[in-house]
Order: sequence, then C-alpha cells, then structure tokens
Amino acid sequence: MRLPSSVPRVWLCVLLWLGGGTVAHAAEHADGAGADLGHRMMVLMLQLAVILCAARIGAFVCKRYLKIPDVLGELGAGILIGPYLLGPHLHLFPAPVGAAFPVTPELYGIATLASIILLYLAGLETDLGMFLRYSVVGSAVGVGGVVVSFVLGDTVAVWTGLADGYLSPAALFLGTISTATSVGITARVLSQRNKLDSPEGVTILAGAVIDDVLGIVILAVVVGMARVSGAGESMAWGRIAMIAVKALGFWIVCTAGGMLLAPRLSKMLEFFGSTQTMATLSLGVALLLAGLSEMAGLAMIIGAYIMGLSLSRVDAAYELRHRLEPVHHTLVGVFFAVMGMMVNLGAMKGMLGVGFLYAFVAMLAKVAGCAIPALLTRFNMTGALRIGVGMLPRGEVTLLIAGIGLSGGFIDARIFGVAVMMTLLSTLIAPLAMVRIFDDRNGLRAGDGEESGPRAEPVNFSLPNQEVAEFVLSRIVQTFEAEECYVSAVGVREPLFQVRKDETTITVRRDGSTIVLYSADETDREFARLVALESVAELISMLEGLRRAGGVGDVRSQLLA
Amino acid sequence: MATSFLRDVLKPDRVKLRLQAATKDDAIRELIDILAGPGIIADRAEAERVVFAREALMSTGMECGIAIPHGKTDSVGSLVVSMALKPEGIEFECADGQPARILLMTLSPANRTGPHIRFMAEVSRLLRNEKFRERVLAAGSREEIVALLTQ
Repeated sequence: MRLPSSVPRVWLCVLLWLGGGTVAHAAEHADGAGADLGHRMMVLMLQLAVILCAARIGAFVCKRYLKIPDVLGELGAGILIGPYLLGPHLHLFPAPVGAAFPVTPELYGIATLASIILLYLAGLETDLGMFLRYSVVGSAVGVGGVVVSFVLGDTVAVWTGLADGYLSPAALFLGTISTATSVGITARVLSQRNKLDSPEGVTILAGAVIDDVLGIVILAVVVGMARVSGAGESMAWGRIAMIAVKALGFWIVCTAGGMLLAPRLSKMLEFFGSTQTMATLSLGVALLLAGLSEMAGLAMIIGAYIMGLSLSRVDAAYELRHRLEPVHHTLVGVFFAVMGMMVNLGAMKGMLGVGFLYAFVAMLAKVAGCAIPALLTRFNMTGALRIGVGMLPRGEVTLLIAGIGLSGGFIDARIFGVAVMMTLLSTLIAPLAMVRIFDDRNGLRAGDGEESGPRAEPVNFSLPNQEVAEFVLSRIVQTFEAEECYVSAVGVREPLFQVRKDETTITVRRDGSTIVLYSADETDREFARLVALESVAELISMLEGLRRAGGVGDVRSQLLA
Repeated sequence: MATSFLRDVLKPDRVKLRLQAATKDDAIRELIDILAGPGIIADRAEAERVVFAREALMSTGMECGIAIPHGKTDSVGSLVVSMALKPEGIEFECADGQPARILLMTLSPANRTGPHIRFMAEVSRLLRNEKFRERVLAAGSREEIVALLTQ
C-alpha cells in the first residue's frame, strides 16, 4: 500500500495550487460587505490549510536540508506567504489597508490560542527542583542576562531613534524582547552531545528558569506601563512603581496560590482517571487564568505560564505535557507562521542596519550578561562562554512579546521587523556556536573540578541491532511505568524519554543499537540499571515462552491451517 | 529516601542472622521459608515457582556479595522482604564472581503497579558501600541489622 515517495509531494503541490486558487477566490470575496460567517470560516479554513502546509514544509526543509532549527522555516514560510510578500500576489492573504492589522482576527485568535498553549507547556516544563538545586549560580546567570539585555536593548532603541525616550513603550518593548531565552534549542543540542547534565548544561537550564520568570514579570510591568502611557497619562515614577507592584502582586499571588492548590488540583484531576481528561481540564484552567491575567491588565500568556509553573511539580506534569504536545506541535507552526506573516518587509527598508545592530547588541548583552556571573562564581572562561552562548537562542517568547506589542499598538511594524530579525539571527547563530564550544575541555575553574556537581556517568549497553534496541526500549518504558513512574517522550521523532517520580529524574535514550540511561543521582542510576536488566530478563522470558515446545508450531498451525 | 521503603517492610522477624543453606537453590527456599512460616505468603509453591523462574533467566546475584532474588506473585498482598546473612559466602552466580554474603528476597504482587525494582535499587545502592556492608555483616542481632538498614 506504500506509495512511491514522489507521489505525496506531487499531490501536495497540486493541493497547494488548488488551495491557492480557491483561497484567492475566497479572499477576494471576503472583502465584500456581505461576507457572512460561513464565508469567513471558509476563508479561515483555507488560510489555515495553506499555513499548516507551508510552515511544515518550511520546517522540514530547514531541518533536513539546511540543518538549521525548524522554527526558522516556519517563520520564513510565514514571511513568504504573508500579506506583505506573496500573499496579495497569489491572492492568498490580502494586503492590509492603511494601518489595519495584517491578519484577520480569526487567524490571530488561533495564533493566540497556540501561544497560550505554548506558554502553558513552557511553565509545565519548568524544572523548579533543578532551579532550586542550582539556584545560586543559575539565578546569577539568569538575572545577569536579563538585566544586561534589558538595559542594552532599551538603550539601543533610543540611540538608533527607534524610540524617543528610555521609558517609551517602544524602548521598553525592545528591552523586554531582548531578555527572553528559548532554551529548547540549547537543550536539544546539549542532549545530542550528552552534555545536558554537565555543570554548564545544568546552569543553563536553571538560568533559563529565572530568565523565563523574570522575562514574564518584566513583560507584565512593561505592558502595564505601555497601557498607561498609551492612554496619554504621564509616566511618573510613582505610577511605574504602582504598576510594578500590581504586576508582581498578581504574579506572586497566582503562583503561590497555584503551588498551594496544585496537589489538590492534581488529586481532583486524578479523580477523573484518564490522563486525557486531566490534560484537557488543566488546559481549561490555564485558559481561565490567561483570561484573568488579561482582565488584571497583564498579558494572557502570563496567566498561562503561571498555571503551567504551578502544576510543574505534580507527578502528572509530564503526562499532561505528553497529552498536550500533539496539539502544541500542530498549532505552534501556525503561531510562528502568523508571526512571520506580520513582518512588513516594506517597512524594513533602511532598517536593516538598525536591525543588525540591535541583533548584535542583544546577542552580546545576553552572552556577556550570563557569562560574567558564571565567570565570577565557579566557571573558567570556557565554561562561562558556553553558558553565555547556551542562553543565546531566542524563540517563541521573543516573538510573543513582539506580537503583543504590535497587536496592542505599542510598537510599529519596523520594530516588530527588527525583533523578528534578532530572533532569526540569534537562533541561527547559537546552535552553530554551541556545537563548536561544547567540546571536552573542562569548563570549571581549576580546583573546582571535584565539586563539578553531578557529572553522571551514563549507564549504557549495546544490543545486536536497532530493531532489538527499539523493542528493549519500549519494554524499559513499560517497566518504568509499572514502577509508577511518569514516562514522557521528549522528542516526537527522537527516541528520548524522561522518567520522573518524586525526586527521581532519569533520561532514557536510544542511540542506534545502544541504549543510554542517565541520571545525576546514584540511586536513580542503580534503579535505571536494574530496570534495564529486568526488562531484558522479561524479554528473554517472553521469547522463551514463544519458543517452548509447541509454541511456535502451534502458532504456525493456527495461522496456516 | 533510601531507607523509607525498608522501614515499612523490614522487620526483625523477617531477618535471619545465619543462613543455613549451602547451595543457591536452598538459600532461596530458606528465604521463602522466613515469609511462609508466619503465613505472609499465601501460596508457597507459587512464590517458589516465580522466584526460580526469574533466577533461571538471569542470576539476581549482583556485585559486592549482594544477592536480591525476587519475583512478582499474587500470593502476597504487598511488597514483602526477607533477609539473611552468610558471612562466609555462598555461590550465587554474582556478576563479579564473588560469593553472596548478604541476601535479600523481595516479592511483590503481580499485575499491580508499584515499587518493586525501585526497592531493589535502593537496597543495592545502600549495600554497595563496603564499610556499611561490613557493619551489617558484623551485627550481633536482627534488631541491630534492621536498625542499621532503616536509619
């Protein structure tokens, strides 16, 4: 039943062409005054069809052929098919008239939903335990990166004439945009190089936690300030302080409340038995908190992130993530593509120099802001640089903040374009730089080598071939589940799992025909070793059961008689 | 954390200071006897069958003179443990070729999720420490052994 590999691509092209034609027809009519709801929904579906396919193909091309992060492909596809480039020519997405918002409210609504799910998952993924364990160095690195980035981002905005004052919304947004780190790309690169549990890797992950939290708090304050200044009120320091207190208050009350209620909420969710029901209900609560935070004058993603953070410590967190990831994977492409569609290349004319300057300063600020605290604590120059570069990738949060700024009218198309440029450049450069500097040199100061923390020796064993290894891997996952551990797939396409129960965290990975299990904790490594051993023993028992006299013959006679 | 399970399941009457058996099979039977005597195991024959079946697949003799024969059977209602010492050692096909000196047997219900291997991992991790092992082996009473392992 397998089609030749060329067939789906041909069909996809035909579909896209047909889809393009239909959307053209639909989009032209959508402008008419009598566009009814049904018609608008039809346009939306056709637009989504094109966006989903274009984003996915862009991601595929970037990952497979260009070997760069797939988010760049999704963003690029959005720019390409968007209303400022090919969209109007292909009659796909009409060019906005005057200062109108570049995409339809329906489409932006779906991108917003995607951003809420994204931040909810980001909160759920936050490893508070790890953060607390490495809080000193991690906090220093996170705070350093955020402060230096914010100040320099804000300053560059004023110096290049993008904003008229250090406290103007544009400057504040450019400052905030440069703070966010997207550690997902770093985590993937480090896990491939088996460095996720190195002192640098652990510090980066801990630093990214404080970075996220601080970034969201700053966003809350900045949105509050921008709203006030947008309403024409003066920005006195007293007023700023009030907004900051309100934003921080909401943050602290919600987070503390969430943490206190999380075990009860988790019990309540468990009452329903099915993890799918739990996941759906928890997403419902996340959307509720998102709405509430918007009502409180903050951005919606803040509420979603807080909800995720509150639930990140419950045992079921990984299961919730696992259930919501398919939704996320489908929608995140739409989010990035829609962000790309909002880039007005025309408005960027003459802005390339400024864009490069801002990107350069933002990158430099992040590397320096993170590396200096690392250098002052326990790392040498190599280690400090690794941490700085590891904190470099920008991604969804940067774009989210920029999107909030654009949709709220706080920043214009030029600044949005500059923000996207910075995201593109830092996301492109960071993985390349990381691959180069994460070699086998010691990143710790001389004399600190012994206390380099939990540099765990992974438990690994080889099997005759990849098929057997795959089978054993699935048995290992089942054995962990039988031990009442939560097992989640980290990468959808990569054979990488994270096992979690109370304080236990074990990573299980298949590398060709080798299975690698690792954990920072010695008891957990022993646990992993025994689970692997028992899984293999069970497998042997199953095979022997099948081979036992009559077993194979019986199956054969049943099948062939 | 390591001793949390042990505290719940390791009682002085489940510990034997000196193992009588001279062979691996007899040692397993003796460990099962400790639990079967007071009626902790509902079906002794079934328990013996699962432990020997597991042993036939791959020896449960670990390293450093530790052996943890085990099995999953519904003849127990929850995770149970018995323990015996053999200071002079007994051949148990350990991974490092050493004779086993500390033997712990654990049985947990089949078809039910719960810590089984995690318990073994914690015991094994605890006993990997040579000094600790020597203290356990030198203990003069069952109560002392339980106190050592659960504190």
